[in-house]
Amino acid sequence: MPSASVLRRNNVNVTGSGDRAIVFAHGFGCDQAMWAPVARNFERDFRVVLFDYVGHGQSDLGAYSAERYSSLSGYADDVVEIGRTLGLEHAVFVGHSVSAMIGALATLKAPDMFSDLVMVGPSPRYIDDDGYRGGFSREQIDELLEFLADNHLGWSAAMAPAIMGNPDRPELSGRLENSFCNTDPEIARDFARVTFLSDNRADLEQIRARTLVLQCSNDIIAPVEVGEFMHAKLPNSDYRLLQATGHCPNLSAPEEVTTAIREFV
Amino acid sequence: MSLSEQDLAEDLEDLYETAPCGYLSASPEGRIVKINRTLAAWLQRSPDDLLGKSLHDILSVGGRIAVETHLAPLLRMQGYVNEIALDLLAGDGEKIPTIANAAEKRDEDGRHLFTRLTLFKAVDRRNYERSLVHARTEAEIEARAQRDAAVVREQFIAVLGHDLRNPMAAIAAGIRLLRKREHIGPEGLQVLSEMEKSVGRASGLINNVLDLARGSLGGGLVVERNSDAPLTPVLEQVIAEIRVIAPENSIETRIDIDEPVYCDRGRLAQLASNLLSNAVTHGAPDQPIRFEAASVGGLFALSVANAGDPIPEDARAHLFQPFFRGEARPSRNGLGLGLFIACQIAKAHDGTLEVSSTEEETRFTFKMPTGNQPVETIVEG
Repeated sequence: MPSASVLRRNNVNVTGSGDRAIVFAHGFGCDQAMWAPVARNFERDFRVVLFDYVGHGQSDLGAYSAERYSSLSGYADDVVEIGRTLGLEHAVFVGHSVSAMIGALATLKAPDMFSDLVMVGPSPRYIDDDGYRGGFSREQIDELLEFLADNHLGWSAAMAPAIMGNPDRPELSGRLENSFCNTDPEIARDFARVTFLSDNRADLEQIRARTLVLQCSNDIIAPVEVGEFMHAKLPNSDYRLLQATGHCPNLSAPEEVTTAIREFV
Repeated sequence: MSLSEQDLAEDLEDLYETAPCGYLSASPEGRIVKINRTLAAWLQRSPDDLLGKSLHDILSVGGRIAVETHLAPLLRMQGYVNEIALDLLAGDGEKIPTIANAAEKRDEDGRHLFTRLTLFKAVDRRNYERSLVHARTEAEIEARAQRDAAVVREQFIAVLGHDLRNPMAAIAAGIRLLRKREHIGPEGLQVLSEMEKSVGRASGLINNVLDLARGSLGGGLVVERNSDAPLTPVLEQVIAEIRVIAPENSIETRIDIDEPVYCDRGRLAQLASNLLSNAVTHGAPDQPIRFEAASVGGLFALSVANAGDPIPEDARAHLFQPFFRGEARPSRNGLGLGLFIACQIAKAHDGTLEVSSTEEETRFTFKMPTGNQPVETIVEG
């Protein structure tokens, strides 16, 4: 794929300068905007890369393929394409939520691209299994899919590309409620299925990159025991329990997350 | 405090507690710090029992995931979230569908103090919305199935039409062979010419069906235009064929083409043949059909007129649509494709096909420029 189309497809934004690059990847339910409070702290000494997965934020909706993105591996292929386009080597990949596993898969596909992996609220499998506690049952995941189906209404396909990055047209921002984190509802459902039905436990032992597991307190999406499971299985990993609560410490406690990443890299 | 102010204060308290909507405030950590009686009653729990509890306690598990992955980040980024469909979980485990608005209360430094939620019960509305979504999904599935079926049907027609051509050609060749080589009596010859007519009609129908199927399948009607050969003999041949098919009709012809016509001669023959067949089928059998073709000053015009009952006003609008059939003797009725395809051929030549119909005559007139045009024009089916 030509590099311009990769950058357009994933709405890639590069800021800052430095010898190393640091990529911030958003998780399920949002887009690159959720990394802004943390990413800006790295622009001074890093090349900072932000992007949206296809179907999210300001990515190219036309590039969505239910087949390509039917597993996390397809999303990891996109990460590798972005990395190749930008010529990334020994870079840092910071993945929130499901992106932590997508980044891990990317290190398997392109071992020299990312030497360090920061996993924020990761989980290799969300559904309980024989002797494993992921935190959810299949029925509960169906409830989530129901919520997504019920919340179609505010979404407008025509408006989605115009929502953000239009400082010269402020009137646009008022025309749609909930203008951040817009996701095509069909794609959101697909991504929810791919995310919450995935099982990447077997991949963890293959990961060679230096890894930091950043675990939140009281995170119902990725409970503490899942974070501890990750740390135990990853061959080359550190583990840090944040004071921040909930699933999005990058938004609720950006300073604490920034400090943790800085001390690791 | 005066009495009236006291009343007002009393009212505000009461408004908060018993308003016809639910009010809830949560700490940044997601603990319930204030909740009104209306909402507590919906949840079938006492307000005191809920204070200090996690917001998660009144949500279904799916709702919790949604709040953590969607609502919480949205609230942090834009400070508010509106019109979210959220299911609450009552004390007895029953789900309460609500529509929620939420906003963060922040201090002057932007520090998050608490989150306010306003909730409206939305049982009927949610049912209605779900049935709308369901109906749309069903309609999409149905529409997709119909599209697929239509494609299969048209492919079937195309294949069938194509495969029917060869046996028709074989029968026509057989008839010619019999005429030439065998000694056949007058009655036998009569049978042969009836057979020839039938083969001619069947071949015309097959060609029209094939054109329709090609057009519908997206190939469009292809014309290859040039002015390498004269048009007059081609038209004369068409008239001769119609005379074989309909010997009881008289056809008066006037052909006066003195400039080259940039056209697909095979297609114009098809157009002429369709118009003549139409006149034979619908015209008064005891009165002549008039065929005129002439070029004048860069314009080529071809018209076919017949006597008989005029075409009713309401039928004229549908005349050029596929599968439109007027009143005719059942045995002579075709598929209703002749005029549709004639019209497509006219358009493919940058021309027009028009009809006029009075008590005196019904006349179809085709007009096109004689001059040079792009080599190949495709009219979308």
